[in-house]
Amino acid sequence: MVVRAFERLDPDAVLIEGPPDAQDVLMLAGHKAMKPPVALLVYEPERPSEAAYYPFATFSPEWQSIRWGLERQREVRFIDLPRSLRTPADESEALTAAPPTEPHDSINDAPSEDPSSPNAVPRDPLDQLAKSAGFSDGEAWWGRLIEEYRGASGEDNPIGMFDSIREAMAAARAELGDLRRDPGEPSREAHMRRAIRTAVKEGFERIAVVCGAWHAPVLSADALGQFSAKADNDLIKGLSKRKTAATWIPWTYDRLALDSGYGAGIASPGWYEHLWVHHDKLAERWLTKVARLMRKGDLDASPASVIESVRLAESLAALRGRSIAGLDELGEATLSILCHGNPMPMRMIERKLLVGTKLGEVPDDVPTVPLQRDLAALQKSLRMKVSADSEILDLDQRKQMDIARSHLLHRLSILNIPWGTLEDDQAQRKSTFHEVWKLEWKPEFAVAIMEAARWGNTVEEAAGAFVADQAKSAGTLQDLTQLLRHVMLAELPGAIQTLVRRIQELSALAADVGNLMDALTPLAQVLRYGNVRKTDTSLIEPVVLGLFARICAGLRPACGSLDDDAAALMRLRIDAAQVALSNLSRDDLLGAWRVELRKVGDDDIHGLVAGRAWRHLLDSGSSPEEAATRLSLALSRGNDPAKASAWLEGFLGGSGMVLVHDARLLGIVDEWVTSLPRDVFEQVCPIARRTFATFEKPERRQIGEKIARHGQLGASTAATIADYDAPRGSLVEPVLRLILGEEYP
Amino acid sequence: MSTTNTETILRDTAERQFASELAALARIDDREKPPRWKLSPWAVVTYLMGGKLKDGTVISPKYVGNQRLIEIAVATLLTDRALLLLGVPGTAKSWVSEHLAAAISGDSTLLVQGTAGTPEEAIRYGWNYAQLLAKGPSRDAVVPSPVMRGMTEGKIVRVEELTRVPSDVQDTLITILSEKTLPIPELNSEVRAVKGFNIIATANDRDKGVNELSSALKRRFNTVVLPVPDSMDEEVDIVQRRVVQLGKALELPSETPAMEEIRRVVTVFRELREGKTADGKSKLKQPSSTLSTAEAISVITSGIALSAHFGDGTLKAGDVASGMIGAIIKDPVQDRIVMLEYLETVVKERDGWKDLYRACKDVM
Repeated sequence: MVVRAFERLDPDAVLIEGPPDAQDVLMLAGHKAMKPPVALLVYEPERPSEAAYYPFATFSPEWQSIRWGLERQREVRFIDLPRSLRTPADESEALTAAPPTEPHDSINDAPSEDPSSPNAVPRDPLDQLAKSAGFSDGEAWWGRLIEEYRGASGEDNPIGMFDSIREAMAAARAELGDLRRDPGEPSREAHMRRAIRTAVKEGFERIAVVCGAWHAPVLSADALGQFSAKADNDLIKGLSKRKTAATWIPWTYDRLALDSGYGAGIASPGWYEHLWVHHDKLAERWLTKVARLMRKGDLDASPASVIESVRLAESLAALRGRSIAGLDELGEATLSILCHGNPMPMRMIERKLLVGTKLGEVPDDVPTVPLQRDLAALQKSLRMKVSADSEILDLDQRKQMDIARSHLLHRLSILNIPWGTLEDDQAQRKSTFHEVWKLEWKPEFAVAIMEAARWGNTVEEAAGAFVADQAKSAGTLQDLTQLLRHVMLAELPGAIQTLVRRIQELSALAADVGNLMDALTPLAQVLRYGNVRKTDTSLIEPVVLGLFARICAGLRPACGSLDDDAAALMRLRIDAAQVALSNLSRDDLLGAWRVELRKVGDDDIHGLVAGRAWRHLLDSGSSPEEAATRLSLALSRGNDPAKASAWLEGFLGGSGMVLVHDARLLGIVDEWVTSLPRDVFEQVCPIARRTFATFEKPERRQIGEKIARHGQLGASTAATIADYDAPRGSLVEPVLRLILGEEYP
Repeated sequence: MSTTNTETILRDTAERQFASELAALARIDDREKPPRWKLSPWAVVTYLMGGKLKDGTVISPKYVGNQRLIEIAVATLLTDRALLLLGVPGTAKSWVSEHLAAAISGDSTLLVQGTAGTPEEAIRYGWNYAQLLAKGPSRDAVVPSPVMRGMTEGKIVRVEELTRVPSDVQDTLITILSEKTLPIPELNSEVRAVKGFNIIATANDRDKGVNELSSALKRRFNTVVLPVPDSMDEEVDIVQRRVVQLGKALELPSETPAMEEIRRVVTVFRELREGKTADGKSKLKQPSSTLSTAEAISVITSGIALSAHFGDGTLKAGDVASGMIGAIIKDPVQDRIVMLEYLETVVKERDGWKDLYRACKDVM
């Protein structure tokens, strides 16, 4: 429509609501290699994260105007308030208030319009107009009235259409008054008016202004007279100027779409492109496209169904009193007929259909992206040489510089820019503060950086955003906890929050208690040691607590009916959970944990797990008498010997110290072994041996010695204390003081 | 649900219950009507969704929910495809189909109830054997099915629980829906459908042991999925409305049930059904039960009955707890874990929900 109006008006200057900072790179829009969707990126070279994107699609009126003007060698200018003059306060607003994405075109003899992003403001005038016309929102109404309108008058008089839009907007402005005004709006409009005046002064006669419809009434020829040039200049004068740079970057329809978080996006770039490309048989073409996409996804979509869908969409449109079927009707017809009411297939094709996967291209000679600059700056400040040869870098994490380097390398590898690869961690095991990297720069990283640039403008920001995205798509708790480990190493506190939230979500749905237990350990570690790395632990704590509550609720059922392998796994998990909880040293958690362990220990389940549970209960302070009773019960003759020895393995597994020090337990074990009948003993012996083989050699020897001194078994630990030789002991004291520090009592 | 003129009938047909509303709509309806429709498509939608007419008559809403769905359903009946209403139990499928038939044909009694034992005769035709033996095969000996009657009279026919019908019987619908004709080979003739005939089938997609529709049959239906209510308030509204209606019909001795209690039951059902808390902050496991709005209604009704007959007449947490637990825990092992977890992590912490927590713990 904007082009039709241009053809009629033939303006000699085209002024566009866009950032004048980008005037230098504007010419590149005419470049052969430039393929929309692309975006203008205006940023501050010192602070690349303070950037604004101005995306353009083929169907954007701004893009059409630029191309039209450049092709005919007319003057093309951006006239909005430059980013360099904006105060940081309107930064957030700027992202939403600069919406050249919408396929709403407009033009007029002096000024013209285009509805500015209808979703930017709560009380959107377009929404109100739309509501009064019986539409659900401003987009739908605009789409119906302007974009889908195929009537005679639209063809004949596009300029008349813009006139009426301007009148409607003037009324809306008058009625809404200041309600909708952004704080930065007066100065933006003043700047635009000044730019128009300049153009007039320079002698252009037919000037077309492409802007948001909202601004139209104050930019018209009449308005130029109403607002004094001086007042406008005054509005702009006070603003402080900052340095900005602009570049073009490839954009995707995906990022144009609303749900990617870009405020002024549009719901369906795919649909608008469809409207842009085709002018007749819209429903037929659209539904055929749907059917083809479905067939590609191995879903049935017969031509008969397409015919039926077109009919349903049209009768729906008739029922709702609309001239042709719009996206709503087509979507509903598709769901009801082609998908048989099942939204799943719809979702499969939705993104491809509505959003499209198109990726734009920019010519090689555009300036670089901020991420590239940020990386170059970091490489310089960290004194890391970029070289295609591989070299080894040994980082000592106790040094400030090295830890910063380590963070950079970890972040880059998160972003799939594997500049450095971590060498085998043998060396690390010897000293935790060393990290050995192999550095090798490859030319294709340049592409990877461009790709990563869409995640953010600094390495840190991009890595954070990327992790957040990964966290969204990760399906299992293990993936997430793995990711968490990377994130800890890369020092991305923001991403940790996202991850933790996601872990919480997944853990709520996880049916397998084992997975929950696996997730608990790393989280507990973060919680315990997070403060050292200045992570916000308050965020993690509720997750750990929630995870813990779920483990407690499901522990006992999860321990039921386990085979040997599963029981061994569960034993390890219980061990890990025990360690994690002891590290947290929270009495309330430990108390609840002990209650669950007791339930597990008392249940008739695999001996290994039950034995293990009792061992932990004993270690964390249950009375030895009780444990002895349990052992004796578990090992009593009535029990299946295989089960009994599994219990023993669980109970003793790992360390024999408990036997060395607790004579009574040793006595019970000893009594049990000696009371076994010969044939049962033969059956159990290998299993008992397997348990005892895991003990350290000195432990085994000590146990043997204890057994040999059978008569003294009754002698308690008190005897060892009586052996203590005070004068000899005091000799060691000064050395101990030296090691432990003077303040140690 | 008015019981004034037909006091002894437990439940009257939709077209009799809402005769006055239908008449009022017909009076002012000046839009184009498809052949043999009693009302225009617009009026049918209005009848279902409720509203106030130009002459001041208030039409009560029959379906509380998305108007678009009803529009799609009505638009489908305008095309030559049949309508399949799909949804979990208790989402008002049969209710909607009954009212659609009543509004369009003025007759909601042409009904085939699908069961595992539904015979082919229920969809095609049967024979009057006395006639058959006495006179031989003739039109007089044919006993028409509701479908056959709908075809000759140009009316909407309802098929309830289509997926419970055995597959071979389901497939007899194919000819009827695609050729719009019902052959009677014994008489070497056929019944051709007149304009206005169409079929509304309902089926439930959660049911176990259903007979999936063959794809040939599926292609003859447009599917509209009736969802569980969108918003909390909407659902509370539905529950409250129906509880009051049912209370009248079942003559339960109680005042209007406490909104607070309804809100709590609906909250619990919604949270478990959606698998997350109402504030969207934490996820929950979902039980195997459907937890439809209809079940929430019955939990409240039985709670009212309990409190009226055995309690002090006001609905308390204890009265709804047993019904609620019974509705939620359908699988004694898995659902129990889900419910326990829910009680411990959500109900226990919520302000003012202590009584419900205790009541539920008692029942479990």
